[in-house]
Amino acid sequence: MEVLFDIPILGFVLQFIAYLIEAVTTTNLAPQTLQLATPIALGALCGIMNERSGIVNIGIEGMMLTAAFVGFMVAMLVHEAMPQSEPTAIFGFTPALVIGILAAIGAGMLVSALHAWLCVTVRADQIISGTVINIIALGLTGYLNRLIQPTGSAGTLDPFRPPEFLVDLPVVGWIFRMFLAVGPITMSVIVFVIILQILLFRSRWGLRTRAVGEHPRAADTVGIDVLKLRYRNVILGGIFAGLAGAWLTLEFNQSFQNGMTANRGFIALAAVIFGRWTPIGAFGGALLFMFSEALGIAIRSNPPEGDLGVFLSGIQAAYPSLYNNAFGAMPYLLTLIVLAGVVGRSVAPAAVGRPYVKEGAS
Amino acid sequence: MQKRFGLTLFAGMAILVAACGPGAASTAPSAPASVAPPSEAASEAPSTEPSAALTPIKVGVVTDVGQLEDKSFNQSSNEGALAAAEATGGTHDVIVTQAIGDYAANIQTFIDADFDVIVTVGFLIGTDTAIAAKANPDIKFVGVDQGVCVDAEGVPDPTFACAGDAATLIPNYQGIVFAEAQPGYLAGIVAASLSKTGTIGAVGGTNVPAVVNYWRGYENGAKSVNADIEVLYQETDPNPSVGFNDQAKGRAIAGQFIGQDADVLFQIAGLTGVGVLEAACDANLVGIGVDVDQAVSLPNLAKCIVTSAEKKLKDTVQAVVTSVASDTFQAGTVVYDAASTPPAIGLSDYHDNAALITPEIQALLDTALDGLKAGTLDPCSPTKCTVSGT
Repeated sequence: MEVLFDIPILGFVLQFIAYLIEAVTTTNLAPQTLQLATPIALGALCGIMNERSGIVNIGIEGMMLTAAFVGFMVAMLVHEAMPQSEPTAIFGFTPALVIGILAAIGAGMLVSALHAWLCVTVRADQIISGTVINIIALGLTGYLNRLIQPTGSAGTLDPFRPPEFLVDLPVVGWIFRMFLAVGPITMSVIVFVIILQILLFRSRWGLRTRAVGEHPRAADTVGIDVLKLRYRNVILGGIFAGLAGAWLTLEFNQSFQNGMTANRGFIALAAVIFGRWTPIGAFGGALLFMFSEALGIAIRSNPPEGDLGVFLSGIQAAYPSLYNNAFGAMPYLLTLIVLAGVVGRSVAPAAVGRPYVKEGAS
Repeated sequence: MQKRFGLTLFAGMAILVAACGPGAASTAPSAPASVAPPSEAASEAPSTEPSAALTPIKVGVVTDVGQLEDKSFNQSSNEGALAAAEATGGTHDVIVTQAIGDYAANIQTFIDADFDVIVTVGFLIGTDTAIAAKANPDIKFVGVDQGVCVDAEGVPDPTFACAGDAATLIPNYQGIVFAEAQPGYLAGIVAASLSKTGTIGAVGGTNVPAVVNYWRGYENGAKSVNADIEVLYQETDPNPSVGFNDQAKGRAIAGQFIGQDADVLFQIAGLTGVGVLEAACDANLVGIGVDVDQAVSLPNLAKCIVTSAEKKLKDTVQAVVTSVASDTFQAGTVVYDAASTPPAIGLSDYHDNAALITPEIQALLDTALDGLKAGTLDPCSPTKCTVSGT
């Protein structure tokens, strides 16, 4: 093995692969990737629900932010009202956290309902509606946060602690760590992705949704209520944006900061396109994107050994800002490469962005 | 067409809300500025009676991009300015900057409203402050975290050659610079003394000079206690609007450090750092806050914040603004450090974690602080306070 590492260029690649294998199997890189991918994947599911039924949603960012804010504030208030309640043994659920999550979901659905009203009933430009939601969410949550100035917290959900023998298994232990040693919202993502994938492509609802997104006129002629279905799907999509918000303030972090979504809603949109408007594809995109981010963190804090490490630390010493910027750019570069090379042409549902007007109606 | 009305109404509302929130800064404060008596100063009765020796002054604060309630930089600077205005019996107002392009316009708002002192907060607003100060010699300007660098004509020098003497060319402008490496050094002593694993971490927001100074001081301080200690450091993002505001990423980086056995974490990353301190708390490790006493500003994390590497922004800004009223204003770049009166840097109170700081650790800290005050201890040595460290 060591001999192979000395081959020029190829040796670097082999060393990198060895580093990857070691990092994935021995460190918390894998669970961290899944955790960071959670808000992206949930946001993407929201986007898919919208776009598959013909509504562009660039307001995911604002929906997430509103949900994060509402969820946190409600959980904090409930927590102050009943601070004595014992958390459950698994995941550390408290009444405050449960109500907070429900409130976050409710907030996500409410903002989505607004989006649906603007896009379906008002027939407004859908891009503008989404932009307005983003602006209003940032302004309103920031303003209220300034008014309330919260100092408390409801705590956070705990990661599950899988049995030791599972995570210590050689070769496959990291898979259990990745999917089990995480919090409940993170864990639920996989379930949602699979369910939505099946529903979208194997159920009557899925067929109708896709029909409405591709050719609403045809769907209308066979008796599908296009407007109603669009309303319903957009509002249901808000559940996912709400959960993503809850993840930010009730699972991974435990306080609200202005603009804390930090563009995750937009990265989620990229994941939708990356995954060709399929839940599993978008989930894969979110994982890839966040894997490169987590790997960037890992490499910088724990550089590989051997020639590759010497090479990297040489670059770091000579061009420190280039080195850091390169890691910041890595997720985007990787996405570009994969989009151009592997995914190929990604085609949006045909009717996306166009309001549907029933024939005869004005 | 009637249906369009809904969106127009909604969009109008959005603009309104954005203006009321931290959005669109220049609209909100321009109104109170022109109508004169800002409610804040008027409604709160000054706790101290205005001193007779001081002239009442009108103080305006232009913050850096972000929010006023950052529990840190903008907030403390503003509190210092407010306290100074109240102490002189004057008035105070603040504009929260929303975009880097608004700096000059926000400063101009206060100039047009005849303010006596304009405090601008942050490294990036320095150039616009210098230009405004040169054009308005009757108004005093105070720049927090701004080294004043001008060429021979008194124009801001982008090459940082600093050929001109700022104190004489712009005699109405003081740039406040803190020696961040000093509190960083003290934090490093605490971290290395408390570490059991021999690995400690620091998370920076963006590698601006203040962050790098803290980090390198921390590293040198830690190595002065334990020469073999491993100091992990990572910049969150080269873009400051992400680097200082992404709590989740802060937590992810901290998680990585903890996975590498780091058992003390120092945050130098603003709101990103809240995630770092959360990670330390959840893992039952020790965290060190930055800029202000974070055990006070983040009460639910107080149990794991042993101390904070402080810049006494409030005290220092208050002292400088008050110096205008007492005609002792000093122009040019002024470095505030352990030797300043009142002390401009230091570690904050240990609060509930005082038991962790043994007399031995306290002795190390006292010795180091004396060295810093006397100027015999250089916190930027042996590792220099630059990104590359050489």
